[in-house]
Amino acid sequence: MPMLDDNVREQVVDFLKDLAGPVRLMMFTQEFECEYCAETRQLVEEIGELSELVSVEVYDFLADGEKAEQLGVDKIPAIAVIGAEDYGVRFYGIPSGYEFTSLLHAIRTVAAGKPELSEAGVQALAEVTEPIHIQVFVTPTCPYCPQSVTLAHQMAIASPHVRADMVEAMEFPHLAVRYQVMGVPRTVINETVHLEGAAPEPMVLEKLQEALAGTEG
Amino acid sequence: MKIQPLVMDLEPKARPEEADAEGAEVYDLIIIGGGPAGLTAAIYASRARLKTLVLTGSLPGGQPANTDVVENYPGFPEGITGMDLAQRFQSQAERFGAEVVIDEVTAVDFSERPFTVRARSAMYRGQSVVVATGAVPRRLGVPGEDRFYGRGVSACATCDGFFYKDKRVVVVGGGDSAIAEGIFLTRFAREVIVVHRRDQLRATKIYQEQAFANPKMRFVWNAVVEEILGEQTVTGVRVRDVKTGETSIIETDGVFVYIGMVPGTEVFADQLELDEAGYIVADRHQHTSVPGVFVAGDVQDPEYRQVVVAAGTGAVAAMEAERFLSEYWQTSHQEG
Repeated sequence: MPMLDDNVREQVVDFLKDLAGPVRLMMFTQEFECEYCAETRQLVEEIGELSELVSVEVYDFLADGEKAEQLGVDKIPAIAVIGAEDYGVRFYGIPSGYEFTSLLHAIRTVAAGKPELSEAGVQALAEVTEPIHIQVFVTPTCPYCPQSVTLAHQMAIASPHVRADMVEAMEFPHLAVRYQVMGVPRTVINETVHLEGAAPEPMVLEKLQEALAGTEG
Repeated sequence: MKIQPLVMDLEPKARPEEADAEGAEVYDLIIIGGGPAGLTAAIYASRARLKTLVLTGSLPGGQPANTDVVENYPGFPEGITGMDLAQRFQSQAERFGAEVVIDEVTAVDFSERPFTVRARSAMYRGQSVVVATGAVPRRLGVPGEDRFYGRGVSACATCDGFFYKDKRVVVVGGGDSAIAEGIFLTRFAREVIVVHRRDQLRATKIYQEQAFANPKMRFVWNAVVEEILGEQTVTGVRVRDVKTGETSIIETDGVFVYIGMVPGTEVFADQLELDEAGYIVADRHQHTSVPGVFVAGDVQDPEYRQVVVAAGTGAVAAMEAERFLSEYWQTSHQEG
C-alpha cells in the first residue's frame, strides 16, 4: 500500500520539477523498525521515485553509528536533507500530515542552497559565529507548524553555524516532557530560549539573538 | 493514527521588488483569505477564467484546517477531516489555475483601481477583491491567559490534544466548536470539563447527545473563567458562578478556549463599512461599501459560521466580481 496516493504524487512531481540541484535524503532507521520508522522510510523512498534529482539512502542507526554521529543524528526515525553541502536540516519523526509540506520545502531550498529569507534575515544570520540549534516541536495535525519548521530550516541554510530540527512531539514524548511542550509549534533555541506559536521571521531572529547573548554571558 | 501527507506551497511566488516593479501583472481578482469562502470564490473565479490570486493568511485552509472532523459538509456522508477538506478546496481551486500563496495581508488601499493589497512579502494589484479573512478565536481576556498561551492554554485541539494524554482539561464555551473539540479531546484526556456561562449548550443537538453520553465529559453550568492559575504550568482555573457570584477553583492541566470568534477586519477598518461588532457590512449580493470589493464567509457572518454557508457566499462573491469586471471591460472597451 503506497503512502502517497496518485493525487499527492502528482503534486509532489509538480513541486519538485524545478529543483536547482541534487538532494540526498539520508534516512536512519534500524533493523527492527520503530513504530514510525518503516512508514518514514517508505515515505522518503516514494519521494525518491518522483524526482531524478532526489536520492534516498537508508542507514541503520546502530550498524551505521559512525554515520549517525557524523550527521548529529541522535534519534530515529531521522531524515537528513543534504544538498551541495550539509546545511544542518533534519527531521525527527515522520514528516506526514502538514509536515509533509515542510519536507518538500526543505528539499527544494536545500537543492537551491539559498534561503528564502528577507535581506535583513540573511544578514543577521551571516553575522552568527556561535553554534545555534533550533528544535521545532510539531504534531502532524497542526496547520500552523510547517511555517515554523520551514523558517527554522531556512535559517540553517543561511548559516553554517545553525542547525534546525523538526521534532514530531508524539513520537518523542520524553523530549516533549523535557522541553515542556504543551502546545505546538514550540521552538526551542539552544536548549534555553523558547517561542510559542507560528512566529514571523523578525520575532524568531530576535529570539536567536537572545540565545546568542545567553551563550556569551 | 494514520495521517495523510499534505502538500501546500509556503513560499510567496513573487518577492516585493518583482511585484512592485513597473509593468507587474494586475490580477483580475485578489482573494484575501484561504478558507472555504476564499477557496470557493477561487474555484468559481478561475473557472470563469479570471486571473485569480488567493492570499491565504497564516492559516491556509481556514478554520476547517484545525477542526478534527467536519460532519455536515454535503457530499461526505462519513464526514471528512478538516485538514483533508481544506486541502481538497485548495486542489480544486488550483486545478482551474488560481494561484494560492501563503501570505498575510498587512494593508490595503481600496481608494482607487487597480486596488492595492500589501502582504508581508510582496505587494499585489487587483481589479477586484474578495475579502474572506474569516474570524479568529476570541480570547478570554483574563489574567494568566497570555502567560500560558501555547503552554497550557490553546484554541487548537487537533494541534495540542496529544499533550493532554491521561490529563484533565477544561473546555470553555458551549457552542459547536467547544463541544465538538471537547469530544475530540476525550480521546486523549482522562476528563474533559466543559465550563459554560449558561445553563444549557448552544451546540447542535447531535453534538450535545454525544457529549452527554460521553463518560469522560463533565459540565459546569452558569460559570465563567476569571483567571488561569499556575506557576510553571497550568494547574487550574478560577471560575465564578454567574447566578450566585461564588467563586471556586477547578483543577486542570490545560484550558481550551472556544468562546466564539472575532472577525478579521483590522486592515479594512478605514476602507470598508463595518458593523458595530466589526463584521464587514454586505448586501445580499456580497457587495461591500466599495464597488469592486466583495466579501464572503465568516468575516461578514456573525450568525451561521458554517463551512457550507461560507462556501456559498464565496461562490456569490466570485460571480459578482465576474459581473463587475465584465461590465467594466465593456465600458472601457467602448470608451477606448
